[in-house]
Amino acid sequence: MTETIIATDNGRPVVEDVLEQTLKDLNIPPRPIIIDRIKAEMGGDTPNLGYVGQLIGADVSLAAGLIKTANSPYFGLRTRARSVHEALLMLGLDVASRAVASISLRQAFPSNGQLDRFWGASAQIAALSGWLATMVTNRLLCPGDAYTYGLFRDCGIAVLLRRSPTYRQTLERANAETVLAFTAIEHRDLPTDHAMVGCLLAQTWWLPEEICLAIRHHHDQPAIDLFDSGLPAASRYLVAASQTAEHLVQYLTGGSRTEEWSKLGGSCLRLLKLDRADLAKLYRGAEEMLRAVD
Amino acid sequence: MDRSDRPSERGGTPGNREIPSANSSLDPITGFLDRKAGRRAATVLVAEANARQTGLAVIWLDIDRFRQVNESFGHRGGDSVISRIAERIRSAVGLPCELSRMGSDEFVVLVPGLGRVDATRLARKLLLEIERPLELDEILIHPSASIGIALHRYGDDPLAVLELADRAMLEAKRQGGNRLVMSGDEPGAGRLGVQLAREELAIEGALHTALENGGLRLNFQPIIGLDGRVEAVEALMRCYANGQQIAPARFIPVAEKTGLIVRLGEWCLLQGAHCAARLREQGTPTKLAINVSRAQLTSPSFIQALHGALICADVPPELIEVELTESLIMDLSETVQANLRNARDVGVGLAIDDFGTGYSCLSNLKDLPATKLKLDRAFVSVLPDDRRAFAVIKAMTQLGRELGMTVVAEGVETIEQLNALAKAGVDACQGFHHARPMAEDMLLQWMKQRTGK
Repeated sequence: MTETIIATDNGRPVVEDVLEQTLKDLNIPPRPIIIDRIKAEMGGDTPNLGYVGQLIGADVSLAAGLIKTANSPYFGLRTRARSVHEALLMLGLDVASRAVASISLRQAFPSNGQLDRFWGASAQIAALSGWLATMVTNRLLCPGDAYTYGLFRDCGIAVLLRRSPTYRQTLERANAETVLAFTAIEHRDLPTDHAMVGCLLAQTWWLPEEICLAIRHHHDQPAIDLFDSGLPAASRYLVAASQTAEHLVQYLTGGSRTEEWSKLGGSCLRLLKLDRADLAKLYRGAEEMLRAVD
Repeated sequence: MDRSDRPSERGGTPGNREIPSANSSLDPITGFLDRKAGRRAATVLVAEANARQTGLAVIWLDIDRFRQVNESFGHRGGDSVISRIAERIRSAVGLPCELSRMGSDEFVVLVPGLGRVDATRLARKLLLEIERPLELDEILIHPSASIGIALHRYGDDPLAVLELADRAMLEAKRQGGNRLVMSGDEPGAGRLGVQLAREELAIEGALHTALENGGLRLNFQPIIGLDGRVEAVEALMRCYANGQQIAPARFIPVAEKTGLIVRLGEWCLLQGAHCAARLREQGTPTKLAINVSRAQLTSPSFIQALHGALICADVPPELIEVELTESLIMDLSETVQANLRNARDVGVGLAIDDFGTGYSCLSNLKDLPATKLKLDRAFVSVLPDDRRAFAVIKAMTQLGRELGMTVVAEGVETIEQLNALAKAGVDACQGFHHARPMAEDMLLQWMKQRTGK
């Protein structure tokens, strides 16, 4: 019966082959092999930092990205990393492997104007989320996680933009929605939503549960509001920090326009124990931070 | 230990009795609040929780077999153990909280703002921390604890929640200790019907590590039609911790009990879909069968996860088949039915796994939009000699056929079994006779060779 498959494939018109090839190019690399290698090394009793450094160093853009991450202002590290090895020492393997994941994630998508703006906004939100985590004293909110979360939170959007030709319009409608949940608008056009897609992706990229769940529920008001919603507190704080960070970016740059703050802002401030006066102070601090990010 | 054994309350063991100090509200051994101050703190925190309408978790912790420690090492030894365990508790909690010592070997942790999930996590962490071996007079002892958790509900009497936590702790003790019980939960009631024994806790820890450190793998086993065509490929999950494989028969039940099965299942879904995409890319498109658990199917978001995986991996629904266990078709809730119908409507195949050994409800089978019936290996393993098994297989095959399903036999290991199954009329076989489960790159090669690509 194997012949049948061959016959169908051979009989397929050339146009379809071209289409097939295009689809192949569009396929999102599920998870770069380097992440599995780093994880394998981390799983050992005494991880060899030198070896991990070699793995990362073999990819120039990955190495540059990691050094840049280690030198990000929100980590507040005074020494500056000049090599992959130093960056690894400064960040620790956990944070470093997540940084590698987020850099690879971006590399997995080809560069184009719209996506570049999207990643730019994600980077700003991530940096401000990490910074916010250092500003509000909350032991369940760790800056490294807040940063990683900010980078991954909306990766489902990047996937859906590539998969669905009409998703851009869906996105515009969801961004402009002032009452219903963002994902509710997506469900009108799609059988899934970017929060779910992002969570699935984050799970296969070995991100911690708190981050995955925070991605899945970041537009889910009851899950954020109710302390006993089933969402871990750490996830709720991640959502609050990144949503507040997004608001700061919008307020200061006019970019990344959504109506999410009008829907979720109150809950976020409550969770982070911030009031309007604190927010005014944050606007000023965030402005400096944004200048330091790129 | 039963209630009457509690030493400090009953005045049994003087060494651990609370000694009044300059600051009489603090326990001198641990630095925690003493019993009276602990109860006062509970009252205050409950009032605060009511005022702010937030939660309050009460974790009541009792050291298992503590009397033995006292008997073997004397009260100085006992005090030393208590103070070191108290230190472990203090550092494990790491959140704003009130810690009190309620009896010689009993502690209460009050954490404001903590809900069910976080309280359970914290309690598990405490169990694992306390479980670390401890050296006393050059002898290694292995402490453990029983934990009861109660969550304060708005308006409840302040001390009621303490009592609930205490009762839950006694239940944990009754079940053998080294476990936690959530007040109000019946044993084994799903995700947080928490009642975890030592081995289960270790496996749960390993699963968490695997999920965050790349310890999961999919292996793939082809299902071959009697006409020689590859009918489908089943994805089988493997879990590794510290370089060792944990058998599915051990980790799946724990995953089901703790709710981790949903995460594992979704991981499989996307990972399996990616494999289907790669098979298609290399010109050997094959249906990929992925196991789906009850917890996934009973969730309304199952369909979003399924479509999410399809879209993410860019694979047409016809190339995915979900495998359900027979027990799942026993009680078809509306959500399950809606999920299955939706999956079927978009073209995803539905296979019933391990059919024939469970409690098959034939009327449910009739209502299920299943496309494939997989006969349990128990019938196959006794072939070709067992004529009765053969008759049952033949009848089940006919039933499946009449219902429009493809019938697959599992666990086929010999040519004699294969011949008997062919006589019985099954459509396809899965088992060592055709191929063992293999890693993805091997599967890709195997498929290429088989189809001459």
